Amino acid sequence: MNHFFTNIIDGSKKEKLEKTLFSFVVLVLFKFLFPLVDNSILVILNDFLIYSTLGLTFIFLNEITSSNTENPIPLILNVGILSAILFFITSLSSVIFDKIENIEEVNGIIYTIVSLVISVTFIAFAIYILSALKTLYFLRQKQVTENHFLRMLFVILLASFAGTLSKLNPDLAFVEKTFFIVSIVLVLLNSFRVSWIAFLSKRQKVFLLLISIIMSGLFGLNFAMFSETNIIEQIVFYFSPGVRVFYILIMLYGTIYFGIVFFTTLFHLPTAGAFDQKREEITSLIDLSKLMTQVLDFKELADGLTEATNNVCNSDSAWIVIENDDEHELISVSNIGYLEAEGVSNNLLKELELPLTDVLTLNKKVLKVKFQNDERTYVFQSIIIAPLKVHDRINGYLFATKRQKYKFDKDEIKAIGAFADYAALAIENAKLIKESIEKERMENELEVARNIQSKLLPDENPTSDKLEVDALFVPAFEVGGDYYDYFKIDDDKLAFVIADVSGKGVSASYIMAEVKGIFESLSQVILNPKELLIKTNDILGKSLDKKSFVTALYGVIDKKNGIINFARAGHMPLLICSGGKLKEYLSKGIGLGLDFTDRFNSNIENMEIKLNNDDILILYTDGVTESQNNENVDFGLERLKNVVEDNCSGELSDITKNIFKEVSLFSKEKQQHDDLTLVLFKWKN
Amino acid sequence: MADFNVSSREDGEISVVKVEGYLDAHTAPDLENEFNKMIERKRYKIVVNFSELNYISSAGLGVFMAYVETMREENGDIKFSNLKDDVFSIFDLLGFPVLYEFYKDEEEAIKKFR
Repeated sequence: MNHFFTNIIDGSKKEKLEKTLFSFVVLVLFKFLFPLVDNSILVILNDFLIYSTLGLTFIFLNEITSSNTENPIPLILNVGILSAILFFITSLSSVIFDKIENIEEVNGIIYTIVSLVISVTFIAFAIYILSALKTLYFLRQKQVTENHFLRMLFVILLASFAGTLSKLNPDLAFVEKTFFIVSIVLVLLNSFRVSWIAFLSKRQKVFLLLISIIMSGLFGLNFAMFSETNIIEQIVFYFSPGVRVFYILIMLYGTIYFGIVFFTTLFHLPTAGAFDQKREEITSLIDLSKLMTQVLDFKELADGLTEATNNVCNSDSAWIVIENDDEHELISVSNIGYLEAEGVSNNLLKELELPLTDVLTLNKKVLKVKFQNDERTYVFQSIIIAPLKVHDRINGYLFATKRQKYKFDKDEIKAIGAFADYAALAIENAKLIKESIEKERMENELEVARNIQSKLLPDENPTSDKLEVDALFVPAFEVGGDYYDYFKIDDDKLAFVIADVSGKGVSASYIMAEVKGIFESLSQVILNPKELLIKTNDILGKSLDKKSFVTALYGVIDKKNGIINFARAGHMPLLICSGGKLKEYLSKGIGLGLDFTDRFNSNIENMEIKLNNDDILILYTDGVTESQNNENVDFGLERLKNVVEDNCSGELSDITKNIFKEVSLFSKEKQQHDDLTLVLFKWKN
Repeated sequence: MADFNVSSREDGEISVVKVEGYLDAHTAPDLENEFNKMIERKRYKIVVNFSELNYISSAGLGVFMAYVETMREENGDIKFSNLKDDVFSIFDLLGFPVLYEFYKDEEEAIKKFR
């Protein structure tokens, strides 16, 4: 049995329609075959077919009426139109036609068709109305089961069937009356589920008020008209007495229900405005929560907050001010001009004892604000200043103002405080994310720079029997731009360079790469250091930017003759420790990239020095001499000279190590901010 | 991070810019702003007073290099004055005195403009 019912109730709209039409066709055939329903069996069969069609139609129509649960007004309008049509048909027919005499004996084809059309129309409309009433019954109900409604439907059906029975057996009239009364009671009880009215907008409520009283009236009239005899009533009665009872009950249901709707709406009207407002506030809050997750675009979030403040807290204007060091920056305004907001907040913030730790409410405040060209007076009914607080630190303030009659109430003040907290968190997040992105970007950049730099430097030192070579390279964290290299010209000649590119990071290492390329190529073709550096300067002139420059010291050591020939382009002087005494060799020369005219060429010179046995040559960059200790004192050339002289006679690698040791001890924990490079040669005759 | 301050005053056609503290990559933009302001106001004769400058990095040097050409193109110049010894040696090693004018004090530099 259950299976049978679920088979009918479930199923698609199309299937339901099919079943309904099928049942209807069977009913029509029956009516044509047996136009006169004169014995009990036919009566019962008649009713059975009618009720099954009724039932199927109801199930089908219910799907249609329940399709739009957001706005019940169109549905109610449909019901109203149908009830109006029923009214007009009934009233007009009873005016135009007289009632039929001896209707039991009328049985022409025309009559069958007409009675079918009218009865079906009236029943179909009644079913639709019932279906709509069911939809309204369940509208916006969260917890209701179908039981109450089904019980009422069942009793209505019983009353209908009893109506047919009482025609067969007049003694059973009281059964019909009993069920009828019970139906009315149940209808009454069920008609109080009208809470969906609360959720309509104010406009919809006003409309409903007008419509419901009209509809209640129409249903009432329809009910009254069927309680007396007229042509339509007759036709329906002879179609099926039960159906007439059914129709009457539905009309009564409509009268009662829409009457109750009318009074409920009437009582809801005064609070309708407030309800609408609360709903808008909730919508604003929901929108705002969605916006909260958007941390990256802080400006959009700030705008959302100021707008929400106006919507939810009923302020006239709202804006947010952020504190950057000691300056106040306006980052979002809603419903107020930028300059006005700035003026007002500057005035207020100056007046008040900052920082504010709690939400401050100022009532009936008058402010005179000076603008560039004039001074304006503002009168505020109420101003709220809410601090944006994160971890006890105030990052800024949320301002909300009211100019009209009422002050902010407790709920509104609380909401503003909540928004201020949101804003504070959001600012903090946005700042942290920005810092984090920046940090990562910089680390990535440095990683790249370090990689480039390490690839540019030599893998090993070209020590040979006459010339020992040692080098030390300690890069700074931020990649400082130091570079050194060796170029074998032939078996007897070794060229070398030590250089320092200005700036740090990737840009410095990029220039370094170019410089290396230039030296690599030129060292093979130009043996004269001065000429080489001049040519290098020319080439760099094509690509170096205005702010960059390179210091370099380039030289060639002739191992056959023990002579070093070098030129210095703005770099630290060459140091030679000979016989325990250190000498500085500062040849003329300006840095590469500083000047691309003849001035560079005419201001650089070669220097040639004859080397003696055990001479130590020291090349260094300013990272060595500019290493600072905690008192910001430089290591300096003097200390460097001393260290070298002290260690001159030892192993070359020891000299390098000791220089580094001294520098490290000197600068201790102070972070090395520049690359540290040392290249040492020891000459053996 | 150390502090840097730049200020200027006008002496007729000449602007005297005073730099104080540490001029490095972080603080160089402040000096750039100052020079930009001068260019906007068509003041191309500049004397920079280094008496209170303690340190200059290659980034700081770069700023001067970037603007001198512009000033010279408009018949102006950037002249350096009052450098402390250690600061001067940085410039000297690089060969700046060959390209730009350095003076012991402001007055000399200003005079040179007239």
